[in-house]
Amino acid sequence: MSYRWLEHTGELELEIGGSAETDVFEAALDALAELLARKPTGAPEHRDIIASAHDRPALLAAWLEELVFLAETEGYVAQRVVEIAVRTGEVSATLDGYRCEPRHLVKAVTYHNLVFGRDDRRWHARVVLDV
Amino acid sequence: MSELVQITPELWEIPTGSRDDMRVPARVFADAELVDAIADDLSLEQLTNVATLPGIVGAALAMPDVHQGYGFPVGGVAAMEAPDGVISPGGVGYDINCGVRLLACPFSEAELGPRREALVHEISRSVPAGTGKHSSLRLRGSRLDQVLREGPRVLVGAHGIGTDEDLKHTESHGRLAGANPDAVSERARARGADQLGTLGSGNHFVEVQRVTGILDGQAANVYGLHPDQVTVLIHSGSRGLGHQVCTDYVKRMDGALARHGIMLPDRQLACAPQSSPEGKAYLGAMAAAANFAWANRHTIADAVRHAIARVMGQDIAAEVRQIYDVAHNVAKIEDHGGRSLCVHRKGATRAFPAGSSDIPRAFAEVGQPVFVPGSMGTSSYVLAGEPGSIEQSFGSACHGAGRALSRTGARKRIQGAELRRELEARGIVVRCASNRGLAEEAPLAYKDVDRVVAVTERAGLARRVAQLTPIGVVKG
Repeated sequence: MSYRWLEHTGELELEIGGSAETDVFEAALDALAELLARKPTGAPEHRDIIASAHDRPALLAAWLEELVFLAETEGYVAQRVVEIAVRTGEVSATLDGYRCEPRHLVKAVTYHNLVFGRDDRRWHARVVLDV
Repeated sequence: MSELVQITPELWEIPTGSRDDMRVPARVFADAELVDAIADDLSLEQLTNVATLPGIVGAALAMPDVHQGYGFPVGGVAAMEAPDGVISPGGVGYDINCGVRLLACPFSEAELGPRREALVHEISRSVPAGTGKHSSLRLRGSRLDQVLREGPRVLVGAHGIGTDEDLKHTESHGRLAGANPDAVSERARARGADQLGTLGSGNHFVEVQRVTGILDGQAANVYGLHPDQVTVLIHSGSRGLGHQVCTDYVKRMDGALARHGIMLPDRQLACAPQSSPEGKAYLGAMAAAANFAWANRHTIADAVRHAIARVMGQDIAAEVRQIYDVAHNVAKIEDHGGRSLCVHRKGATRAFPAGSSDIPRAFAEVGQPVFVPGSMGTSSYVLAGEPGSIEQSFGSACHGAGRALSRTGARKRIQGAELRRELEARGIVVRCASNRGLAEEAPLAYKDVDRVVAVTERAGLARRVAQLTPIGVVKG
């Protein structure tokens, strides 16, 4: 499971790889935590989230959108996936994280060049964040 | 690069036949150097993609400050037939009605004198900026609905924020018709409810400036600008509410593409006919978010006036005038050549010329003001709309210098602390909580604004009226 940030003139582009489909969701959460996390202002908290979409790439966008929404409205930054289940058109998870003043604002998760699929051996994804 | 043909020294074209799916040509207002600046990014491919959208008329257009975005390029303009051409949320952008407002102060830099630092400091205390910052004006339920429907006029009437004169000097009087609060989701409301009057982060700012050049005396006089005058430029948008409106409708329209028989080269161009249920709902939600953005800049301007009052006195603050407020991320139904068109401007400014019935009467003889922020270390410009914009760009001009470097690239070139010292050594007071954020918006990350406005002027889209130089900047 890995991720890296790619060069993009105006925004942030994320590339993710993993050996399992759930790895991609977990790596996306790790990348967002790297971008948002600051010193905690409260005790660790669990959160249950569900995201849905009509295909796999849009599901990854919906997952990230849930995390962005929690960060902006509650200052909650997820740090780790405790449990995760991916079904057709839906991902549900229990997260471990904390409240803080998130370091960076992510306006939105775009559909531009949005990719999430599998080749012979690995899962891979790309997503552009508007910041 | 795509097949780019030079038409005039300031206009380039990718002909319609360059790709099978193009419905109209793609045109770029630029000189050779600005064309080189976008040669290695996706601007031209993205512009060509826009040229494939159903109902597009004339050409897909890029302003001189164009750079790669997502879906549409930033600096893109596209006009669609109304009501059956498409509306694309990505063609407006996530920050719906991101825009700029310019205030003219009744004092010069010399009269401000040693109080400059105090003024910038007071503004930074008065305007919540950066992430995690919330407004003291929290609107819920019907009070938020009123703002979404009516824009800042509600704030003047019910909250005593700003003046009727401010509304007269705001594009569309700060109220886009057809706003439908019911089309704005609960998630969007949750994101925006406590953000009215906040700056946000990224490239948003409040800049204190000095008028360092008058290039069109008549227009400057009409706008109320004179040499050495202090001005304040405010750049912000619809905050989380607008971001969520766009997110919601990109997803909804993406799911309805097959039903509308629309094939796209990029999912971010998700769109629907304006007359469809999705199109009507988005237009209503977008107008609501645009009204929220005008209310946001209106509230920020009020906070700036209060900061000026604390530093310069109440009587002086009462004489601070709003020159104008322009949107640069919006879609509007406009009449062009007798046709009703839905003009998408994403990182582009409306630039209507003298004689237009859609601009304040005070500007009727000189044209609409257009504000072009440079970067925090370079000049900004006040332009005036020219007839060429109507003839060539659906009444549009540039909106800024345009990014040249990625945020990572900027941080590799300069450290925030180093930039802060450089700016302060040049007499620019800086208030920015994040050195990282400061570095990402460094002047070297942007194109040469002087070149961008020169090309805009030579192309006949807008002419230069005044040059403004920063003396203080507040960033999120």
